[in-house]
Amino acid sequence: MKPAISLLALLAVSPALADGTREVDAHVHGVGKLNIAIDGTTVAKEFHAPGADIVGFEYKAENDEDLAAIEAALQTLSDPLNLFGWPEAAECTVTSASAELETEEEHDDHGDDDHDDHDHDKEDDHGDHDEDHDEEDNHDHDEHADHDDHDHAEEASHTEFHAEYRFDCANPDALTELSFTYFDVFDNALEVEVQIITASGASAFEVERDAPTLDLSSAF
Amino acid sequence: MILRLAIASLAARAVTVCMTILAIALSVALFLGVEKVRTGAKGSFADTISGTDLIVGARSGSVQLLLYSVFRIGNATNNITWESYQDIADRPEVDWIVPISLGDSHRQFRVMGTTSEFFDHYKYRQGQSLALQEGALMGDLFDTVIGADVAETLGYSVGDPIVVSHGIASFADHKDQPFRISGILEKTGTPVDRTVIVSLEAIEAIHVDWQNGAQIPGQSTPPDVIRQMDLQPQAITAALVGLESPLQTFALQRAINQYPEEPLLAILPGVALQDLWAIVGVAETALLAVSAMVVVTALIGLMATIFASLTERRREMAIYRAMGARPSTIFGLLILEAVLVAAAGAIFGLIFLYFGLSIAQPLIDRNFGLWLDIAPPGGQEALILLAVVAAGAIVSILPALRAYKLSLADGMMVKT
Repeated sequence: MKPAISLLALLAVSPALADGTREVDAHVHGVGKLNIAIDGTTVAKEFHAPGADIVGFEYKAENDEDLAAIEAALQTLSDPLNLFGWPEAAECTVTSASAELETEEEHDDHGDDDHDDHDHDKEDDHGDHDEDHDEEDNHDHDEHADHDDHDHAEEASHTEFHAEYRFDCANPDALTELSFTYFDVFDNALEVEVQIITASGASAFEVERDAPTLDLSSAF
Repeated sequence: MILRLAIASLAARAVTVCMTILAIALSVALFLGVEKVRTGAKGSFADTISGTDLIVGARSGSVQLLLYSVFRIGNATNNITWESYQDIADRPEVDWIVPISLGDSHRQFRVMGTTSEFFDHYKYRQGQSLALQEGALMGDLFDTVIGADVAETLGYSVGDPIVVSHGIASFADHKDQPFRISGILEKTGTPVDRTVIVSLEAIEAIHVDWQNGAQIPGQSTPPDVIRQMDLQPQAITAALVGLESPLQTFALQRAINQYPEEPLLAILPGVALQDLWAIVGVAETALLAVSAMVVVTALIGLMATIFASLTERRREMAIYRAMGARPSTIFGLLILEAVLVAAAGAIFGLIFLYFGLSIAQPLIDRNFGLWLDIAPPGGQEALILLAVVAAGAIVSILPALRAYKLSLADGMMVKT
């Protein structure tokens, strides 16, 4: 396309962009995503999984049981070596691990500023939308007051667990396979899409419940 | 003893045996050749781009972005604004970023506008850099560097003038601003060979007197005036990005994919290549299956030959028996003969393959940009050849069993 033409096209589109962008990420139940990047002895992993795979529901936690399930899931997700096992020979130790729950909802008319503030995506920040759940109302609502006029239909929301891990592996050459004990821990998980970046580039794999071990030798 | 007998017996039926060996040899050569082309194609495909962490373009699909930005196949759905490009370039994770501007052509070849950093950062075949076989990189605004195939096909050499056409397959030429070839690149076996590279500013410069895809009639700005103009592009087609650390790749990819001001897409080249190969790869699997069937056909031919020979060898078998050979010896003799034929076929197949490769290699490289490595047979080839020999033994079991039974029943007398 010619730059001149595309500039005109851009000008035509700009007013629409000013209203804010609307977009929703793809979300497939049963399929988690694991990204791995290896740089020397440092290994970074980030994991995304739909709430349905981890706790079996994606509605907003309704009772203590749901809250306990989420809490337990976050605990489990914070221990990566019990989910995705590196070979012993690689001598990997966890240097950091964190897990959180995020809600994916359609926000129709947020300005761009609001999109930079990811707090409003957090599941537990929406406690104020449902009068019945006063026990969760320990958040500052004022900054989210503008959300009150939205209709948050519970069926429309999707939740995703996100986790980030860092490892230090003394012997990165031994990172030849990854065993997904994750499937044993979470019964609803069926598949994980893995992307891995090594010194020789990026590659992608799919790991399924039937064959929960990933051979990474072709990625190096 | 039995080996000598088997060889002598095969030699006695030399013509039939040679034909069978030839059939097996050709089928084995075909199978190994297809396998060679398949791995060669996959390898040269994956070698097209390396060292780039992310490719950024307008939001479309990862395969499409890869096709137009790297393979120069198809067109971009949209461009990236210069502001977005700057935003990405200013991010701390970004080590280097090379803009690409596509859309014009010269004859059948695409013209790509980029910066001189393209030559530093574009890598192919596990980190090889582009090199000039002749001339120098672009020094002037109207200088161009052309790929090896462009130079060879159109017979260009350094210093020749070339005129870039507006768009692809169009009749509107940028006649007012002819380019001069300043350098010719070494052959790479990548789409760069078929690309005319100019500077990003030059793409702007040739469109100075153009509006809405056509030249403004009667208006022609002299090149010297253009040189003084501000030629910062408003938009680019795609950008290649290198990162400070691979650990930041996924975070930057997500940031670009969720960039609120403009719908952008960042892809991991290796993963996109894999996606693309998954589509192309169906054809190669079909090809491999067909050539495997040819091998099976040749082996069945071997079985048929042995069956046919049994009738004419009944007297021979009976004599062996009279001389004290056990029925199991007859059985073993036939299996051994089949194994010898299959082994000879496999070895001749390998010879045919290397003979064919040595002739075809330069032709394939020139015509398809596909470099087939002539390496000594590796473990995989050895395995395939062993499988052929083993299959030869297996298909001969049936006629050998028949001979075994006949030799028990038949007397010295041949009753006809």
